[in-house]
Formats: sequence, structure tokens, C-alpha cells
Amino acid sequence: MKVHDILHNKEKKVNFLWILYGLVLVILFLVSSTDLIIKEETAKIYPISVVIGDVSDENYVNFRKGMERAAMEFNGDISFITLYEKGSAAQQKELMLREQEDGSRALIVAPVDAGMAAGMQQDNLLTVPVVFINTEKEKVEGLNNMAVLTFDYHAMGCRMGERILEEHPGEDKVYLLEGEKMNEVDMLFAQGVRDTLSVKGWTVFLIESAGENDWAQVLEEAVLIAPNPESLLRAAQFLVEDEQSKEKVKGLYGRGSTVPLLNYLDKGIIQGLCVTDDFSAGYLSVKTAVELAENRPVEEMGYLESYDIGREDLRNEKYEKILFPIE
Amino acid sequence: MKNMKKFCFLLNSLLLCAVMMFTGCGRAENETEKKSIRIGVSLYQGDDTFINNIRGELEKCAKAYEQENGVKVNLDIQDAKGSQNTQNDQVERFISLGCDVLCINPVDRTAASVMIDKAMAAEIPVVFFNRQPVEEDMDRWDQLYYIEAVAKESAVLQGGIVVDRYRENPESLDLNGDGVVSYVLLEGESSHQDALIRTEWSVKTLKDGGVPVEKITGGIANWERSQASALMEQWLEKYPGQIELILCNNDDMALGAIDAMERAGISGICAVGIDGTTPGLEAVANGKLLGTVSSDKERYAGAIFTIAACKAMEQEIPPEIELVEGKYYHCPQQIVVKNQ
Repeated sequence: MKVHDILHNKEKKVNFLWILYGLVLVILFLVSSTDLIIKEETAKIYPISVVIGDVSDENYVNFRKGMERAAMEFNGDISFITLYEKGSAAQQKELMLREQEDGSRALIVAPVDAGMAAGMQQDNLLTVPVVFINTEKEKVEGLNNMAVLTFDYHAMGCRMGERILEEHPGEDKVYLLEGEKMNEVDMLFAQGVRDTLSVKGWTVFLIESAGENDWAQVLEEAVLIAPNPESLLRAAQFLVEDEQSKEKVKGLYGRGSTVPLLNYLDKGIIQGLCVTDDFSAGYLSVKTAVELAENRPVEEMGYLESYDIGREDLRNEKYEKILFPIE
Repeated sequence: MKNMKKFCFLLNSLLLCAVMMFTGCGRAENETEKKSIRIGVSLYQGDDTFINNIRGELEKCAKAYEQENGVKVNLDIQDAKGSQNTQNDQVERFISLGCDVLCINPVDRTAASVMIDKAMAAEIPVVFFNRQPVEEDMDRWDQLYYIEAVAKESAVLQGGIVVDRYRENPESLDLNGDGVVSYVLLEGESSHQDALIRTEWSVKTLKDGGVPVEKITGGIANWERSQASALMEQWLEKYPGQIELILCNNDDMALGAIDAMERAGISGICAVGIDGTTPGLEAVANGKLLGTVSSDKERYAGAIFTIAACKAMEQEIPPEIELVEGKYYHCPQQIVVKNQ
């Protein structure tokens, strides 16, 4: 009888262990394969719309690379939007409102008209945070729920003027190619060049070019400056083909960091370029937009850095990293 | 028994309600028109000139579509930088971001099945272009499409440029007057179906057209201008005065060969390309390139975009997009020579 009891108890224990083992297996399954016990954290995605004031992203190649890097890091879902018509402030306003309505958590805007964009913010038309880029800082500063990431275009123009004074001591004439679609930052840059050269007694001829290189007909021996990347590229392309004009131009200078412009700098067609660290600007704009969308405080960043480079600087490691960033 | 009957009746009623609800929902969904579509585009290599041209045209198509139809188009274009793994990640990201349709220019045409698997699982149609997935992959699903400029046609047209030139002015090709046109060949990637077909049919057309040709040498420059330039530089040194014609599988490589000739101060050797890229067309206009075969990039990108937009909007593909076997679109091509 005693032996039977012992055996019975042992059988009970074995059964109990089997049940316990089964339960452990079930719990392990629930923990590892389902969301019932440990819930997997779902990444929060931030839809962010970037509305630029241009019809193509030609001048935003490095900026986009930086943006995409930040989007991966901060879970941004970026919509990059260009205008149907270059420089149309009304269209940009429409697109900003459309993006807001479509669920963007933040906007990154290169405003065609900074005043208008600031007005939208002041009039509470914009309920989502805005990061203004490539604009005149003073016009958008101090608004609620926004940040500014831009370069000091006037200072860039002044530096370019100084470079010209240094490199062309015997000259006193400069042609400033003012394209028909100059935006606010182009004008700031042009103003910087004018301010520096005028006080040194240079004559600054303004040429309102319609984009057809019509300036070539009135060109005398002088230095040529293009305040925006498009007019600079057109001028460089023209000088490659037109030997006569090339002889008259003592130097071609301008602003922009696209690959074709850098190639012309390398070939010696362009003598000096003002370049910006667009990769960092793109990265910081998305980072800032996500921070604003999360209602986190954003640091005041001041102006981003820009640099003056010549042909000899293209192989400089510091500039190589800025101009040809590796994603 | 009575209870059982009651239970069955209740169950049937519930099932009926569920069926009615689901069919009702479906109708409501179809009736609500989409206000925006999202298209994920992955390019095998963003700095390929032809692909870059197509990208530009796609962006134009998207803008035109938005303006015409009032439907917002979110075109998410990514560069795979020649890495199939990167492209697979991009496809995964497009799917997780809720793209309605994918447009893929595959890095490795033989490795498309992974992307197709993912798209099939998510029920997202795919429009492939420029690099054709293998037929077995294309046959796996009826929501796969492929847009191309037929390689054989490009090659025959390219050969035709040389044949016409030879008939008009044989001395311009047979520079040393030995009765034979000695040529070098610059080919695209060995794994790309177009490279093999373009080479084969271009040379065949020359021979069939009565041009006495002799191959000096050839090399793979992977569609790239810089690689072609380096190869050509070597050949100019190795075969001085012998090269009379440069046959290239695309415009970028032809321009690379011209770069090398310019550096070496050599002129007079004719080069022909394919694609009709913007720099290629400029080189033809400047007389640097004998000719090129241009695919209609507006139509090429237009076909990609139209199919993608129709699929995203759950509409029928319009009849003007003539699909062969219901999935292949062949883009028309034409010869471009100077003064045409």
C-alpha cells in the first residue's frame, strides 16, 4: 500500500512537471511571437513636406541627400515638392496649405516671398510648425512654432566682392547678371557684391538678362558676376562656345554648388564660387522639423556656414566633403 | 432542438449582415475617388545620364497629371547607387510608407524576384523599366509591367547610321583607304541584356549593309563615360592611326571616347551612340558624334507614369499605351544625325 502511494505521488509530480513545461512553452511563445505580453514599439513616422520656390530640384541635390539621411534617422517621411511655375508665391502658398491639409506634421519651406510666408504664420493659416530655409532671416524671425536655417547671402556677396578686388586689381568694371526671375536671396547676394565694389570706385553695370545671354552684345572688357546658379551656368556654357565674349570677360564669378558649376570651375571657365554646405542644411532642416513636430525646444542656429572657393580648392579634403557628400 | 434552430437562424442572420456590410463597404470605397497617389521610384544608378533624363520626364509627367486631374502625386524617387541590397531596402521602405505603385529600374535584372515577392505580398503593382527582369519573374503576376526601348531596334538603327554614312562618303569612315573600316567597340554591363543585343545587331547591320568592317578591339565600360574614356585612351596609344570607327552601346560611352580623343588631340574618327541623351544630342548637333538613336523619352516616361497612375487610381490602362502580351511597352525610337 505504501509503495502504491509513493508511485501514485511520483506519477502526479511527473504530470505536474509536464503541465508546467507546457505552460512555460506557451508563455515563451506568447512572449516571443505575439504582442500579447510584450508589445513591440511601433516607430512613429513624421510626414514632412518640403516646398521649394523652384520648378526643379537641380540646386537641391546635396540638400536632398542630407534630408534623406535625417529622414532615416528621425523617421521622417519626406515629400519634396517643386512649383509648377518658378517664383510663384501664390502657388507656393496653395501648396503649403495643401500639404498641411494632407497631414504633414511639419513644413520645410524655401519661400519665394518670405514676407508672405511669415504673414501666413502670423494669420494662423499654418497650424503646423515651419522650418524656413534659404531665405532672408530678418523677415521670418521671431514667429511662433518655426525655425530658420539659412545662409548670410549678403555677407556672401560682400566676400565675393572682396575676392574680385583682390584678384583683379587693374579692373574697375563689373557686369552683374540680374536674371528676370531673381529671388530674394539672389538680390541679397547681388546687393552684397554691389556694396563692396561700389565703395571702391568700381562701376557696376546691371544687366537684366532674360536668360538668352543677351548681355553678350553690350559686353565690354569686365568682370562678370551671376548672383544665382542658373544664370551662372548659362553664362559659363555661353563662354565655352563664344570665344569673342570669353576674351572680354576678365573673370566669371557666382554662387552655387551643382556638379556642372564645379566642372566649369575645374575647367577654369568660372574663377570663383560661393558654395554652401547643403548636405548639413538638408539634414538639420529635417531634424529641426521633427523636433518642432514633437514640440521639443529648438536651438537658435544663427547662419549656416558658406565658403568662397577657387579651382585650387576643389581637391581640398574639407571642400570635397561638403561638395560631394557620401550618403 | 428548438434552441439549435434558433442558434442556426441567428448565425445565418449574422453572416448575412456581415456579407452585406463588406459588399457595401467595397462599393463605398470604389465610389470615393482618391485625392492623392504615392509612387515609389527606385533607380539603379541616379547618375546614369539616360536614367536621369527619364527621371526628369517622370517629374514633369507627375506635375502635369496633378494639374490636369487635381490629384496630388507624391513621387518618391530613390537612387539605389548600383546596389541590389539598397534597392531591396528601398522597396521595403516604399511598401511600409504605403506606396500605391512601384516603378523599378532594377540593379540586377536576375534578382528581381525578391522585390516581386514583397510587392505581391503587399498587393502593390510594379512597373519595371530599362532593365528587364527575367521572363519567369515577369510571368509570376499579372500586375507586373515592363517599359523598354527595344534593344534590337536601337542596334539596327545605329548600324543604319554607319551604313548610310558609308554609302554617302566611304572615305569619311575608311580613313586610311585600305578598303576596310576598322572599329573598336565600347559595351555596357555584361549582365545587361541590352548590351549583348545592341552589340550583336549593330555589327550585323553593318555587315548586312555592305560595310567592310574589322574589329580591332572592344571593352566593357559599364555604360560610363569615365570608363569609356580610360579605355579609349589606352586604345589610342596601342593602335595609333588604326581606329576608324567607335561603336558604342550608349551615348555616355561615346562621349567618353570623344573626351579621350580630344585629350589626345585626335579628330576625324567617327563615333555612334544610342539613347539620345541631352549631352548626346548636343554632341550630334556640334558634329562631335556621328549620330545616335534616340528613344522618345517623353513617351518612355509617359508610359511608365500612365501605367503607374492608372494602377494607383485603380483605373484601366488607356488604349494608347499599347501593351504587348498585356505587360510590355515598347517605346518608339529614331535616328538622330546632324542637320536632321
